[in-house]
Amino acid sequence: MQFRLRPLPRLLLGLSGLTLALAGCASTGSDKPLDLSQGVPVGAVLALTSNANVYGQDQQLGMQLAERWFKGKVMPIRLRIEDGGGDEQAASQAFNLLIDAGVVALIGPTLSQQAFAADPIAQRRGVPVVAPSNTAEGIPQIGSFISRVSASSAVIAPLSIKAALKRDPSIRRAAVFFAQDDAYSSSEAAIFQSALAAKGLKPVTVQRTQLNDQDFQNQITAALRLKPDLIVISAQAVDGGNLIRQLRELGYKGSIVVGNGMNTPNIYPICQAYCDGILIAQAYSPELDSAINKAFVTLYKEATGGAIPPQLSAQAFTAYQVVAEALTRLNRHTPINGRPLIEVRQELMQELLSGRYDTPLGAIAFTPEGEVVQERFHVAEVQMEPGGRSGRFALLE
Amino acid sequence: MSDLSLLVQMGLGALLALSVYLPLRCGQLSLATPGFYAIGGYVAALLSTRWPALAAAGAGGLYPLPALLLEMVLAVGLAVGLALLIGRPVLKLRGIYLAIATIALVEILRVVNLNAGWSGGAVGIFAIPQPFDGPGGYLVCTALLLALCCWFCARLEQTRLGRAMAAIREDELATRCMGVPTAQVALSAFVLSAAIAALTGVVAAHFLNTWNARQGGFDASITTLAFVVFGGSRTWLGPVLGGLVLTALPELLRPVGDLRLIVFGLVILVGPILAPQGLITPERLAALARAFPARAAGGNGVRR
Amino acid sequence: MSSGVEHLLQVLFNGLASGAVYALFALGYTLVFSVLGVINFAQGALFTLGAYFTYLLIGGAVGSNGALAGFQLPLALPFWLALLLAGAGAAGMGLLVEATAFAPLRQRRAEPLLFLISSLGAGVVIVNGVQLLMGAESYSIPAGSLGRLPAAVLIGGAQVRTVQLLLMAVAAVVLVVLTLWLEGSRLGKALQAVSEDPVTARLLGIDAGAMIRLAFALSGFLAGVAGGLVALSVSIAGPYFGIGFGLKGLGVLVLGGLGSVPGAMLGGLVVGLAEALVPAEFSGYKDGVAYGFLFLVLLLRPRGLLGKATVSKV
Repeated sequence: MQFRLRPLPRLLLGLSGLTLALAGCASTGSDKPLDLSQGVPVGAVLALTSNANVYGQDQQLGMQLAERWFKGKVMPIRLRIEDGGGDEQAASQAFNLLIDAGVVALIGPTLSQQAFAADPIAQRRGVPVVAPSNTAEGIPQIGSFISRVSASSAVIAPLSIKAALKRDPSIRRAAVFFAQDDAYSSSEAAIFQSALAAKGLKPVTVQRTQLNDQDFQNQITAALRLKPDLIVISAQAVDGGNLIRQLRELGYKGSIVVGNGMNTPNIYPICQAYCDGILIAQAYSPELDSAINKAFVTLYKEATGGAIPPQLSAQAFTAYQVVAEALTRLNRHTPINGRPLIEVRQELMQELLSGRYDTPLGAIAFTPEGEVVQERFHVAEVQMEPGGRSGRFALLE
Repeated sequence: MSDLSLLVQMGLGALLALSVYLPLRCGQLSLATPGFYAIGGYVAALLSTRWPALAAAGAGGLYPLPALLLEMVLAVGLAVGLALLIGRPVLKLRGIYLAIATIALVEILRVVNLNAGWSGGAVGIFAIPQPFDGPGGYLVCTALLLALCCWFCARLEQTRLGRAMAAIREDELATRCMGVPTAQVALSAFVLSAAIAALTGVVAAHFLNTWNARQGGFDASITTLAFVVFGGSRTWLGPVLGGLVLTALPELLRPVGDLRLIVFGLVILVGPILAPQGLITPERLAALARAFPARAAGGNGVRR
Repeated sequence: MSSGVEHLLQVLFNGLASGAVYALFALGYTLVFSVLGVINFAQGALFTLGAYFTYLLIGGAVGSNGALAGFQLPLALPFWLALLLAGAGAAGMGLLVEATAFAPLRQRRAEPLLFLISSLGAGVVIVNGVQLLMGAESYSIPAGSLGRLPAAVLIGGAQVRTVQLLLMAVAAVVLVVLTLWLEGSRLGKALQAVSEDPVTARLLGIDAGAMIRLAFALSGFLAGVAGGLVALSVSIAGPYFGIGFGLKGLGVLVLGGLGSVPGAMLGGLVVGLAEALVPAEFSGYKDGVAYGFLFLVLLLRPRGLLGKATVSKV
């Protein structure tokens, strides 16, 4: 080899110098005045690629419907949706990108794990975040600029256990299944277990599965040997749906209670007729009788050719609504045009947390910390149509 | 600022690529890098969140730099220890068998992290304190680390050990016949690779604000390998360039929207076909040096 | 029958059921590896394609999120026919992968490592292409597709799902047919000749390129059929459906011994059984056990269970 890398020390010196220069001139951009000529810039970071896209695409539709519905009803908003992928890095990068672009608020990211990475960035830079789907413990506690419309599983999960026991008081032997590599399911499973314990039921077995598992024969046969009469599942739509189908195929006849992660019509094609009769706790019910929910359901059906909206779409719609209404209220008492971005962001956060909203989820408000206060949750029973192609979440009272 | 944090991510990608490059340079296709990266991240995350004394020393708000250095030392120590422990038996394997054995190690580690109580399970560890108040600080830190590792690799290529590594890749048997302790050399490469990965993990954990069992899995193994193959695996500049370019690519492709990962895949597909030796080869560097003799002479001038 | 024996039988069936899928997957890798000495990383994507093709051919409609939203083929084939055609479609895609990601590198006699990366790129393109066209939602094949079979059967006290028995049967048939064909037919022997020594094979008048394409087509077909069957068993979870199997399949392949057809089968069964033997209390460590086992076997037998002691290229 002829070429020897002697210029290397110089190269390194240059590189470090360049880096320092770049780091020095990092502009924050947040003292720029707000330009409203094309509407208030609002950003959303959703998982549009990677395997979290299953959730991201439901959310994207919810946001688009909200955009259509609120056009003319609130001040003009320019929504920019960026792909946050399924990993922490992509979500953080998308947050940075949108904050640099001067958005007044952010909606997203899709996964709780991503929120733990990206939300601190927004917090440090003083940008309000409304999470449409993060349910893990500790999200609003990341900071004063972080809020969510997705209720924590801690409040929803116990309801369905109560409903199952009310229905069949003779239940004695509960088995718990959960997807251990899913942040949502593993925290929900802990809540299910303490809800069971509060009723004096210690699970006869706790089976761990993986989100990408499709064959649960091992776990199911191990659990069924212990003769459970209640099975509690904390999982997402696909793995949970498969679990139900395989449980029934392998002969389980007892009650099944599932977590909020499975509150989506996406489970119908997977467990088909076997979905019938499962109990589910819902943060959103398509059957809720309110004007805005009816409007939302109609819009959704028009957009999809008759499908029933899942919770993720409703929550994304709600997140947009919260931001839009808070902005409109803020602008009414202190017009925001031309004001410094940093101030508008701060005032928007205060306005956002102090308001009450009539949404497809029902009436909601926020605690000062940013946690959603949702008036009512629901427990539904899945009723499948004959043939098992489609069904509905019928509300229990 | 999004540009600055992208630069940090690119730097971290380049560091991981160097970590895969070192064993590959002596013919060992080891994909254990993400495992050591995960270890580094957990060390940083656990120390900085569960050991209040460390964070308290920086009462001014920022996480103190000496504590960050301590994490680096501990993470490297742990990774090197583990690499020494498993290196000997594992490095007896060759080719794809070594690759699969190291992937298996990474997966075992992931499962342990997912189940262990201290790791926070699937949610992981969050609210990791920040040693810098913005991406600028991270950029300086990452650039310094990268410069250090580059300098080290460049020096290594000139030393006996480095030449022995290259010789093993060309012909292991002949190298052993020449009296080179090949097992020793391969082990050194493996250990160095582990150390770089662990260092990267420490910085990444702080930079990401959170750490969980999804960090450093099979996907990461393969992506990092792509960095090296894409950039070129015969000189340190190759993996660095590969890491920088391929980390930035998905972000730079944002304007093409839905098609961005398809384009990304096409680049990975076409890259090896157009440049089978990678983008940077010693031959190309030599040609560059001939094309710009003044610069090379300048370099020699600095040397005096 | 005593409950201990019942339990053992149940574990055995559980292991066979998941092992059959791993084995089918690994067989596809094996065919390409035995001819070219390289791993085709796009195999998982071909598996995914087979599942989606099957779904479309039985008359399934595309959901509302992909570019093809609402699209439905104007035909509804019976499951078996759809499965075979889907296999053929995946075989065609396998040929395309060969032509784009492998042939150019082969002509330049590139390092085996490069094949790995270029086929990985092909896989990324296919997976994201599927996502673009069909969306990320899950699709399923109606439970009644097999006719009026019961959902599960009781064998000696062990519950087994019918569709898994089917998977085991298909895996067994494929093993027997493939072994007989490789050992017994002219074409099979020609394929083996190319894998042993391409130069001599060419001197004997065997078209090495054609044999390589044959291997890709066959392995694509196997991946496609496996994908369709698994889709029937557990639904299509989304475009990333095959990727999880891809890693396990690779492990299984190496465990059994690269390039060995019975080895791939044995590897699949061993991993399936090892997973089934994990006690319920430790179900979280299931994947760790499979990989731990793989790791130990590699340390003790560096060429896998049935691997030949030849020099591998990758």
